Amino acid sequence: MRALQIVRKNKLPVFVGIIYILLYILVPDKADSAMRNSIYYLIEMFEVLPVIFLLTVALEVLVPKEWIMKRFGEKSGFLGNILSFILGSISAGPIYAAFPISKMLLSKGASVPNIVIILSSWAVIKVPMLANEAKFLGVSFMGIRWILTVMAIMLMAWVTGKILSRKELLSGISTTTEPNLYVNQDYCIGCGICTKMLPDVYELINNKAVVKLGIAQSENKMMIIKTVEECPTKAIVRATEAT
Amino acid sequence: MDIFTLSFWGISIVLTGASLVKSKEKTFEAMKKSKKMMGNMIGEIIGIIFMIGLVLTFIPPESIKSVLGSENTVMATIVAAIAGSVTLIPAFVAFPLIGSFIDVGASIIPAVAFLTTLTMVGVVTFPLEKKEFGLKFALLRNIFSFIAALLIATVMGVLL
Repeated sequence: MRALQIVRKNKLPVFVGIIYILLYILVPDKADSAMRNSIYYLIEMFEVLPVIFLLTVALEVLVPKEWIMKRFGEKSGFLGNILSFILGSISAGPIYAAFPISKMLLSKGASVPNIVIILSSWAVIKVPMLANEAKFLGVSFMGIRWILTVMAIMLMAWVTGKILSRKELLSGISTTTEPNLYVNQDYCIGCGICTKMLPDVYELINNKAVVKLGIAQSENKMMIIKTVEECPTKAIVRATEAT
Repeated sequence: MDIFTLSFWGISIVLTGASLVKSKEKTFEAMKKSKKMMGNMIGEIIGIIFMIGLVLTFIPPESIKSVLGSENTVMATIVAAIAGSVTLIPAFVAFPLIGSFIDVGASIIPAVAFLTTLTMVGVVTFPLEKKEFGLKFALLRNIFSFIAALLIATVMGVLL
């Protein structure tokens, strides 16, 4: 049952793993070369992902929501677009590294067009990449392609923003729609019912129950609702986050 | 590690230091949140990486030459754009490869289409993008990028 859950959550890696196993049995030399080809990207991942981790943490702590909303939000206008271009271009790493950062900016109030700009420019407009392109294909080739790409990204961002609203985009994303769960410290009498029912979710600190951080609520949803009902002082609050 | 990645490391370490000084509790709380968010992605990312290895083995970068060399420019451009969407080869391999090919006199339109979809459209990263931003966003962004690549290639063909 548990193994099945892990498989269901990781369809792609499991699928790829099965292909590798089959290849190793049928054509071992092809499997070997595929392995070797992957190593460059694996190294790249270990070079970039820790940085992305630290950056999302620093962004969360240092940059107030209001600032992001003002600079990257719906009303940030042309200046917001330029800022998004700069942010995407000075970054390092493959496009999947842009996903956590973009998601964080989105949850803090960035607009849809600006997210499109950050993701796209993160993918295409990289300073080291431009230098490489100029070296092998000529400066005018690189320059014209760069100008056209910037224009295309602007157009794409604008159209995507018209088709897809921020609200609709957010409603499709799992973490922001997860209900907020907390224990009202004024009402809690520290009876310990909830911590006994769900020691994975609640803990007693100074004789008051609190919700542990980073809980995957979806896994314990039924039990959480039960604890909300069982709490003698109705101190456990489960509210859908307003976005 | 190139200089850009290195400076990226430097900046992020300094910023994390600053956020630790500002509030230790908030930083650790944010770390837990980030850990959860990245933890949800890491399995997919590793899957993607080994998938790239497979694609590179069965569709080696050199095979793009046969696509670009086709007589029919329109067909070649569309096939090149599709090839760029499914493959993920490093830019430092792609640029010299395309450069050598243009030097021998191949049309630049398919070449540009390939270079642009190579980075902007990601069939392999699509499942992850869909998971993180929803189906509609991922579809729109990738389809628009594909069309944009064809437009950019055509305009460049006219200009150069």
